[in-house]
Amino acid sequence: MLYVKNLYKSYETGKIKYPVLKGIDFHVEKGEFVAVMGPSGSGKTTLLNCISCYIPFEEGEITLGGKSLAGQKEEGLAKIRNEKLGFVFQDFMLLDGLTIRENILVPRIIQGEVSADAEALADELVSLFGIGHIMNKYPAEISGGEKQRAAVARSLMNRPLMILADEPTGNLDSKSSRAVIEAFGSAREKMKATIFMVTHDSFAASFCDRVILFKDGNIYRQLEHSGSRREFQDELLQVIKEMSDQEVDV
Amino acid sequence: MMREHKEQRRKAQAGTEQMRTMKAMERKLQHAGRKHAGLYLFCNFMALMIVSAYAALMFSPTVQTVFPPGGDSRKQMNMIFVMTLFGCVVFTLYASALFFRHKSRQLGILMALGASRSRLFPGLFREVILLSSISCAVGIIAGFPFVWLIWSVFRLFLVDSAEMALHFNMNCLFVSLLFWLLVTGFACMGAWRYVRKTNIMEVIREEHINEPVKELGKWCGPVGFLLIFIGAVSGYGAPGFWMKVMSAYAPAWLGILYAPVFIGLYMVMLHTVVNGWGNWPGMPNRKKNPYKNIISRSMMKFQGKQTVNNLIIVTILVAGACFAIFYLPTLSSSALLEYESRAYDYFYEYRPNQNVPDKDAVEALADMYGLTLKDWETCEYITVGAGGNTMVEEADGKHFHMVYESIGSELVLLSEESYERLTGETVNIAPGTYFAVTNQSEASVYTNESAGHLTNMTTRKQIETGFAGYLHDDLLAGKYMLSVISNEDYALLAEGLSDEWRGVMVRFNTDGKDSYEFARDLYHRFVASLDESCEISVLYDRVCKIMAEEAGEEYWGDSDPMMRISYEEMDSNNFRMTWRYQPKFRILDKNDFLVTMAVFFMMFLFIFIVCLMTALVVCYTRCQTIAMNNRYIFDDLKKLGASPAFLEKEVRCQCGNVFRIPALVGMAAMYFYYGMILYANDGRIVFSEVIGLGVCMGILFLIGLLFFLIYRATVRSLKRILQIGSQDSK
Repeated sequence: MLYVKNLYKSYETGKIKYPVLKGIDFHVEKGEFVAVMGPSGSGKTTLLNCISCYIPFEEGEITLGGKSLAGQKEEGLAKIRNEKLGFVFQDFMLLDGLTIRENILVPRIIQGEVSADAEALADELVSLFGIGHIMNKYPAEISGGEKQRAAVARSLMNRPLMILADEPTGNLDSKSSRAVIEAFGSAREKMKATIFMVTHDSFAASFCDRVILFKDGNIYRQLEHSGSRREFQDELLQVIKEMSDQEVDV
Repeated sequence: MMREHKEQRRKAQAGTEQMRTMKAMERKLQHAGRKHAGLYLFCNFMALMIVSAYAALMFSPTVQTVFPPGGDSRKQMNMIFVMTLFGCVVFTLYASALFFRHKSRQLGILMALGASRSRLFPGLFREVILLSSISCAVGIIAGFPFVWLIWSVFRLFLVDSAEMALHFNMNCLFVSLLFWLLVTGFACMGAWRYVRKTNIMEVIREEHINEPVKELGKWCGPVGFLLIFIGAVSGYGAPGFWMKVMSAYAPAWLGILYAPVFIGLYMVMLHTVVNGWGNWPGMPNRKKNPYKNIISRSMMKFQGKQTVNNLIIVTILVAGACFAIFYLPTLSSSALLEYESRAYDYFYEYRPNQNVPDKDAVEALADMYGLTLKDWETCEYITVGAGGNTMVEEADGKHFHMVYESIGSELVLLSEESYERLTGETVNIAPGTYFAVTNQSEASVYTNESAGHLTNMTTRKQIETGFAGYLHDDLLAGKYMLSVISNEDYALLAEGLSDEWRGVMVRFNTDGKDSYEFARDLYHRFVASLDESCEISVLYDRVCKIMAEEAGEEYWGDSDPMMRISYEEMDSNNFRMTWRYQPKFRILDKNDFLVTMAVFFMMFLFIFIVCLMTALVVCYTRCQTIAMNNRYIFDDLKKLGASPAFLEKEVRCQCGNVFRIPALVGMAAMYFYYGMILYANDGRIVFSEVIGLGVCMGILFLIGLLFFLIYRATVRSLKRILQIGSQDSK
């Protein structure tokens, strides 16, 4: 589904160049729920932005559904963003002037005209994520958890190959976080969605099939989910602790 | 509440039913963003209204006929127009940048969700063009009633005259339409710039991206002031210096020497934003409380680019307003003091071949008005050809050299005996010399100090002479070149001189209270008694004409429109200012001063109002933007426990910098510049100019007061927006 090979990306401030991604290699299979964790500045969000085609990368290759992102023109990248990817952001990124239902329909409107099928899908999604009661409200009138579930619904509107989520629980309380993670679970189960999530939250990550741990622009370790969710969260915390201890030792 | 909610839901459902296309979505988003669009519309509307109102008045025949072509007042009017245009351009640029900053989140989200440029362009351009066009069109249309309203208020409450009747020349629309195109063009370029950005996250976060300005040292502000001073002095002085040293006309590019003024202005404003004033290292304030105003200064600093731009615009507009309004007191004070300083109430002159009312007729007229005349005196004068240094242009049209011509221009001559009779001052002049008559402050520009020869223009008899000094009389000086020679020389020159080169001067007083009606009646009778040979401008030089024609050239005065005057316009400003035989009747001149100068005064008053209004609107808008952009900072400060008093202090500090610094710098810079102009005119500041500058200072105080009041109102408005001090009640 998603192949990332030898990915390099750096930022320049004046004459100084800061490497952020230093040759990243990994892949995500269809239907997988994968999380990326790591300390601030480790390159997680930069990786996500490169996959999202929001920022260009310097070296390496990203292949999505068999199609390479490198060398794509602006129109082609926009088409990929609209049709092959779904997005969930930390700060929801809902359009304030539109109702929740309209926000969910935005990817389809961008694609072309909204058909009756699309409206039916939107209604199906709001019901799936338990936000039917707020679908005619505006973002300013609903809670953070509801906003994020609306964003998850929006991300599925064009039945993308993959949902990219950037800290989806970052702005939410524990109850709302759980609801959002459950929404991802429903999306995976009912819509066969593939999810790639960047998070700091070990609780959210413990629901994933696999967690890729980042450190200083490199992959530190990949952990497969085995056993119960609680055990997987403990394992994650243990590895994060080890990673932090190493840093202190250094 | 419940009903409201249902209504909202119903509307939302209705909206969704229709929102199936990109166009429908864009319409809905535009509707939702109408608050920000409103600010953009307001800014464009104000700019266009001001530009079109200014252009309408500037191009109106009312102003065009009164302001002499090539005259200083017209240059002044044009210069301030350019300044206002510049201010309005930057203001509209700012408005469009602000609009796109708010729009960027929406654009960014749509781009992130896969909207390509080609999908976004049409809607965005449509919106931008629609908003720009509506605001510009309404602004242009509103400009006309705006200028008409102000002009009518002037006519109703201040002064009215036939010349004040307002007519429009529709050519002014070209300026407004050009400005419209400019505004729309800039807005489209802004839209293009945003949609072309490749980093989508940058577009989404644009609204919250700071624009910090480059930090400069504490020297920045003082050096800025120094540059303003250097620029003003060098820019103003350079043309004169160039002419003197290079013997050539000053080229237009010399205006570049004013550039340090703008660089200095930028540095002063940069210092205001980055460092603030009153926080110098070592100053007690800084030592005692190094963190004073740190929050408000940081807020300003991180939106530095916009803030500095705004402060510069306001400074320029305030300076323009001051430049316009200073015209009134300086001109009024010098004119009114000149009227007062005349030794006699009535003075007029005529050629002996004209049938003007004689002493008996004037006394009979005075009797009709219950007046008695006294101190009646008449005396003859002659007009001769005087030698002098003349500027001769070289073939390249750029350089010139000075040449002495023995018959150069007209010079009016009084004998020492006539001068004594007219002024009561005894003078003793040696034959072969002459004294030039000037006013008490020796500020008159109509004096000839280089004459070596005097020529009878009828017989061409010539005598040699030399400048011996000045005589001072405010009644005789200041209109044309007048000198006094010995009785012997006068007799020699007057011999054989025809009547057209001779004249009679009359002066008298009224015994007791004077009458304006008498003065006006006498003036009208006097004008009516002269034939068309006297219907000439004071600048029309018959000696120059004869010499030009003798050299086979055409005299420029015969074709120059500036020379055209007509008896039919005897009460107009142009006639009274430029007629060669315009009498000096103190009560008439004093009473009619405002009426004859009405168009000048009202035009400059209008410019003042427009510039000041624009400056205040820019300040107000800037403060509103500060509130909108920094709302989250104020919310955070509230959460951190900041008291309403503290928050209000921060708001006051922000607004204070926006209003105070540009107003102070603009007013001070223009006061200094105006003082410099007055000084440079004749190398000193005379009494009437001191009075004028004193009145200007008073006006500055009033402008400061106005700024203070608007500042207070703005702070109140910002407190409401930021809900400072209102939590308790809510």
